[in-house]
Amino acid sequence: MNHAVERYLAPTSLTQALAVLAESGGATVLAGGTDLMPQSRAGRVKFARTLLNIRRVPGMDMVEVADGKLLLGALVTISTLVDHPLVRDHAPLLSQAADHFASDQIRNAATLGGNLCNASPAGDTLTPLMALDAEIELVGLDGTGVLQSRWLPLDGFFTGPGRTQRKPNELLRGVRLPVAPDDQKVAFYKAGVRPALDISTISIAFAARRRDRAILHDVRLALGAVAPTPIRARRTEALLEGKALTAELVRVAAASAASEATPIDDVRASGWYRKELVLNMTQRILEDVGNN
Amino acid sequence: MSEVLQSTAPSTLIGQRIPKLDAPDKAAGRTRYVHDIQLPGQLYGAILRSERVHARILRIDTSKARALPGVSAVITAADIPDQRPIGVVKDNLPLKTDRVRSLRDEIAAVAAESEELARHALTLIEVEYEDLSAVTDAADSLLPGAMLIHPPIAGAKSGDPVGLAGRDDNIAMRFDYVHGDVGQGEAESDVIVEDTFYLHYVTHCCMGVSGVIAEFDAKGNLLLYSNTQVPFLHKREFAEYLHIDPSRVRIIQPPIGGGFGSKLDIYPFEVICVYLARATGRPVRMVYTREEEFMASPTRQPVRLTLRSGCKKDGTLTFRSVHTLHDNGAYTSWGATTPVVMMQAFASLYRLPHCEYHTVAVYSNNPYAGSFRGYGNLQATFAIESHMEKMAAAIGMDPLAFRLKNAHVKGEETGQGNIFRSCGFQDCLKIAAERSDFLHKWREYTGKQKEPGRFKRGVGLAAMLHVGGGAKIYQSDGCGTIIKIDDFGHVTLITGASEIGQGSETVLAQLVCEELGLPISAVSVVNNDTEITPWDVGVHASRTTFVAGNSAIGAARKAKDKILEAAAPRFACAPEDLDMKGGGIVRKATGEMLTNLPRFIRSLHFAQQSDLVITTNYYEPPSVHFDKGYKGDISAAYSWAAQVVEVEVDLDTGAVRLVKVTGAHDVGRVLNRLGLEGQIEGGVVMGQGYALTEDLQVEGGKIRNPNFRDYKLVTAPEVPQMDISFVESMDGEGPQGAKGVGEAPAISMAAAIANAIENATGVRITSLPFTPERVYRALHGALPELPTTPKVAA
Ligand SMILES: Cc1cc2nc3c(=O)[nH]c(=O)nc-3n(C[C@H](O)[C@H](O)[C@H](O)COP(=O)(O)OP(=O)(O)OC[C@H]3O[C@@H](n4cnc5c(N)ncnc54)[C@H](O)[C@@H]3O)c2cc1C
Repeated sequence: MNHAVERYLAPTSLTQALAVLAESGGATVLAGGTDLMPQSRAGRVKFARTLLNIRRVPGMDMVEVADGKLLLGALVTISTLVDHPLVRDHAPLLSQAADHFASDQIRNAATLGGNLCNASPAGDTLTPLMALDAEIELVGLDGTGVLQSRWLPLDGFFTGPGRTQRKPNELLRGVRLPVAPDDQKVAFYKAGVRPALDISTISIAFAARRRDRAILHDVRLALGAVAPTPIRARRTEALLEGKALTAELVRVAAASAASEATPIDDVRASGWYRKELVLNMTQRILEDVGNN
Repeated sequence: MSEVLQSTAPSTLIGQRIPKLDAPDKAAGRTRYVHDIQLPGQLYGAILRSERVHARILRIDTSKARALPGVSAVITAADIPDQRPIGVVKDNLPLKTDRVRSLRDEIAAVAAESEELARHALTLIEVEYEDLSAVTDAADSLLPGAMLIHPPIAGAKSGDPVGLAGRDDNIAMRFDYVHGDVGQGEAESDVIVEDTFYLHYVTHCCMGVSGVIAEFDAKGNLLLYSNTQVPFLHKREFAEYLHIDPSRVRIIQPPIGGGFGSKLDIYPFEVICVYLARATGRPVRMVYTREEEFMASPTRQPVRLTLRSGCKKDGTLTFRSVHTLHDNGAYTSWGATTPVVMMQAFASLYRLPHCEYHTVAVYSNNPYAGSFRGYGNLQATFAIESHMEKMAAAIGMDPLAFRLKNAHVKGEETGQGNIFRSCGFQDCLKIAAERSDFLHKWREYTGKQKEPGRFKRGVGLAAMLHVGGGAKIYQSDGCGTIIKIDDFGHVTLITGASEIGQGSETVLAQLVCEELGLPISAVSVVNNDTEITPWDVGVHASRTTFVAGNSAIGAARKAKDKILEAAAPRFACAPEDLDMKGGGIVRKATGEMLTNLPRFIRSLHFAQQSDLVITTNYYEPPSVHFDKGYKGDISAAYSWAAQVVEVEVDLDTGAVRLVKVTGAHDVGRVLNRLGLEGQIEGGVVMGQGYALTEDLQVEGGKIRNPNFRDYKLVTAPEVPQMDISFVESMDGEGPQGAKGVGEAPAISMAAAIANAIENATGVRITSLPFTPERVYRALHGALPELPTTPKVAA
């Protein structure tokens, strides 16, 4: 299939996997392969000499709650995000978003880590995780073969389409996020040509805390597929922070969100239409939050 | 035994729900398609395609590919000096010599020990190009001084086809049709409406990708395992391209993973595969990748269409004048003849005294357009049935009454010469409207257009006419059948008609069993080997059930006659007193079972004067060829349908949800209800995809979305609720009264959806597809105005 690949490895420990990545020439990391394989067939990705399947690395598919945080391993599949009770209870926004993702077959293979490392601005777990203040863990071996770990806020991890802060010798091990407070309001919206099995034309993830229809705080609004990376609409968040939702505020905030979007024209939609969608759907989301 | 059979089996198979004979194997994954076939010594072929839209080929260096171990042959045009141009106007050399005209163009081919090796070898071939300016807009190709796609070739002999002689313009085909006097029609009109429509590219997306295996035996006979829809025509054509005697070409069709018209033409890859087999002396299999299927298989014709029609205040249509422009792509396929079908819709869908239609199909550097289920009728009907709605509004009539006013009835003959010996059109319109509560909803939703709210509902009605009794395009529109009843009473039905997934073998078996009084399990069907099966023109034009069905019934009747004639003396009666029922021979008057069939057949076979029950039949439908002006009763029967769709439009996003489809189809008669429902439901969804989601985006000659992620077929959650009724007009010529319906259900979907969107929002959209963005733009006046279609002087 791919003549660049000379060696296929499927290590059964994290250090083995990281040792392979640390070799000169590195390796192409394979998780579910649902991005990698189509991209390689379309000629957009060149494989390194070594193809490194990380799916047998133990522990990387964990779903746990500890110290008020939900911990998700990079190999957690999208299906797990949809179905797992801990994810549904503690990160309903992520679960909802995962339920807009591809088809069952793809969801069973596709991983959270793959979605994040693929760094598509249209990736459907990216905006909810940004809205939920997620952090990610990158691990690698240092020069002496000792495992090093660093945690980064997810916002800031993405540096461009398909580009991240991950170094070639690092793996993404997992994600952590605060468990959802019980006054959290969330909404996820995804636009596409079809209601299922589609890549987002745009996506919007909203999270905020609010008690008894009072003021919003900790407002997060993340937008997908409207810029080279998913973005937080920070000016709009600031507009909404500490306010009660009025019709006027909703209108102003929606216009502000649209102005923070800088989408391009591509095979899925024009930039103009994407901005219109951000405007209309931010308005709908805020109206719904206001009414509930 | 026979009594049990009689009492539990229904008295007739007609109208029953009979599962497809090939379904168990397909469902179990046991069907062996072309890509599952592995012949001893088989090599794998792959094609190097152009990376340029339009360019001169300056140099091809295959030396590195040839040197790769495991590669048996690398060929270019230089290796095949006797190449002949292929295609309906012979304008396509399988391997290109000095010029590539589109991205898919074939430059070189490799046969190797594995598919991987073959594809790897392709990457080692070096091609140097010199780019030429490209024509990627059909209107541009008509401009004076436009870059010629097939420029005249010096030294060509007179009479040489386009592929050898070139052309001094970019016109691949043109059609001009007139009946009546359009000027008079205009003068008699109270209202005249003109609209322009743009129809986009879509492609077939067969589940099985294109593939072929070619093998020569030691005597030089060619065996092809091919997915073709027209094996007998291809046998002759291949022989011509290969300079061999047609009787040396044998075509076997493994089960075909979908056709939908895509397999009516011979394509360069098939001829190239034969060249590779010849060069290597080994069987060579060539199967597309999915990406290749998107890039290098044909599309539906993209069409620009300007329609001008008139009517009187009372709703009587007066005239119609149509100009269309078709983007052919760089080569001409059978699909370029789609105007022949389109003109029937323009001229004959409604009673119309005056009609003219002018069209040109032009060469461009875009992908090559082919034939596709409906064969132009989706494009024509989208325009007509959108336009009818506007005319109805202009004279203040409701869409149903306006259509009923102009809808044909049984016995009418159209200006084009179609004679409607059976016609359920009025019933189709009434039933679809009634069952969907059309008029009531249409009025209600019209009233709600201006009300606030995010979601708007709308209903839309559209109708269609299509051939339902074959189409006499080739010398013969016939089909042959052989029936053999063996000494176990088992029937082998050998038919020329190909099965491409449409369920023909099941319905043919059913018709034969009905004649012979046998259960469906008593028949097996052989339909895929030109060495065995009798001639048939091919699977197209919704003709198989009608033509092959009549042929099979005829053969079965002959077998029955033979059996009953032999039986009569034994039971001391006349053949007319006997019948075949319940697996045996019965006395007609009393139903008394006289003997079972196997025992009787054995008694014939193993007698003193032994005989076999083998019969043949050839059926030629009583249709006629068009005259030079495209007039004549081209089909033995015509099928009708009306569809009402209900949609919900999201004003925030422009997304259109298809909620329900209420269809009424004049099918003549229901034969296999299950198969018919499947055919209609599948066609509805195909029409839905054409209207709403499917869009092969071609920009500057390049396909931007050659994959299922970005080319959006309808998926399960979007499939609408369906209420399908069948109008049984009992066609006098049809097999058991049936007419063809293979193409019908997709044809009027786009128009019905356009009409429903207008009913919901008040906005008329005349270009496809209705993706959320297009609809949203239309709602906000942000769709560009469509220029009218250029008129090309004859
Ligand atoms: C039909 C189809 C539909 C799709 N629909 C959607 C959709 O609706 N929404 C959506 O967001 N995406 C969609 N996708 C894209 C894809 O499924 C997702 O991005 C998926 O999450 C990728 O995960 P994976 O495990 O398959 O990644 P892979 O393809 O295995 O890897 C993706 C990239 O990440 C790298 N990588 C993977 N894991 C790690 C790790 N732990 N550490 C470091 N690098 C790593 C790989 O090297 C590669 O570059 C779709 C894809 C297909 C084929």
